[in-house]
Amino acid sequence: MNRDCTYHRPSTLAEAVDYLATKGGETTIIAGGTDVMVDLRAGKLERRNLLDVSRLDELRGIRLEGEKLVVGAAVTLAEIHRSPLLANHAPALQKCARNFASAQIRNKATIGGNVGHCSPCGDTIPPLVIHQAEMVCTGSSGQRRLPITEVATGAYRCQIARDEIITAFVLEPVGADFADFQKIGRRQALAISRMSMAAMLNQDQEGRITMLRLALGACTPTPCRLRLVEEFLLGKKPQPALLMQAGELLAEQMIAITGRRSSIIYKEPAVQGLFRRILSPVACHD
Amino acid sequence: MQTVHIEFMVNGKEVALDVPAGATALQVIREMLGLKGSKEGCGIGECGACTVVVDGKAVNACLLLAAQLDGCRLLTVEGLADPAGLHPLQEKMIEHHAVQCGFCTPGVLMSSYALFAEKANPKREEIVAAVAGNLCRCTGYQQIITAIEAAVPGENR
Repeated sequence: MNRDCTYHRPSTLAEAVDYLATKGGETTIIAGGTDVMVDLRAGKLERRNLLDVSRLDELRGIRLEGEKLVVGAAVTLAEIHRSPLLANHAPALQKCARNFASAQIRNKATIGGNVGHCSPCGDTIPPLVIHQAEMVCTGSSGQRRLPITEVATGAYRCQIARDEIITAFVLEPVGADFADFQKIGRRQALAISRMSMAAMLNQDQEGRITMLRLALGACTPTPCRLRLVEEFLLGKKPQPALLMQAGELLAEQMIAITGRRSSIIYKEPAVQGLFRRILSPVACHD
Repeated sequence: MQTVHIEFMVNGKEVALDVPAGATALQVIREMLGLKGSKEGCGIGECGACTVVVDGKAVNACLLLAAQLDGCRLLTVEGLADPAGLHPLQEKMIEHHAVQCGFCTPGVLMSSYALFAEKANPKREEIVAAVAGNLCRCTGYQQIITAIEAAVPGENR
């Protein structure tokens, strides 16, 4: 049993911020606990004051606020999967929750934890990237917003200061004709994504792509929007030969970031396959 | 060592405990409450042997901080049967030979129980998804899934 931990459950966000202002340096924020508890068990948790934010009202709920879609940081993956609002306005995010870990973990794991952990393989990140989401955090010096692509400075390295709490994610709701999230792991359940992808697309009546957003997860140290591939496909009909070409461009873009590591023998064809698979429902065959 | 005072319901009974701040729910369930049905397999949320139902939802007790049980309703495998007899899920697990060593059984039962609480008439693929976080290393999954399917409340009534 871990004997040197402390536990504190604030009843308001203000109380949590006050706590972090003095003890932030020795504190780990816990919500669902699905990452923190693993580190605690392994003896790898350095900051051993546990601040439980899972019940803070300020961190809960999924709602439309004006032109924006707001997802509280303590919203669980199960809640994301069940949300009709997300199914309508951020379907790739809703879909990524479907095969996230296991039912037990989806019931506890939160979107704030998934992003704040800054694992390159966080499944909620590529969908947030294609919705050009911003992360909202609150600390003693007030509230600030960070684009989702700037949250991680590297694998497991987060921009959030020790006295800050992630409170919400603000997404651009998009009514896309097609949106999906797909991943490759060792098995379907409980396998960390080796590779993941979120896509969102609109087509005109002839099938030409009028809007496309693509993001790659797990392959690069920080999340990666695939703008070159988006630009390449924009205004064109996604015919199989063109999608082959776009897949090659995508792999090049990935390799430009990661370099040619030994795993590339697998990853280069796998990322192309994943890309063709995710867009196969919208491919034009005429 | 800091202790945290928590009050919660265990299998329908109210309990109040002072738990170590860093203790897991599983440690408290097994060591302090003496309920040894919930098992520790991996301790990191991958095997599901410690699955319990908290406020109607299946969770890994090894990944839950005991302090987070405060104010919750906890159901462990010990609370599944009632004085009249075993729960239909337990009956069907026996009937369909879904138990060999039995280590994963409590967790499988609790995942299935939570599924039934959420959906009265789950389809086979929903059962498969509900127990995807429960590993069994001896029986194989077919008997387990068949047993759960046979216990679906809609099928019995």
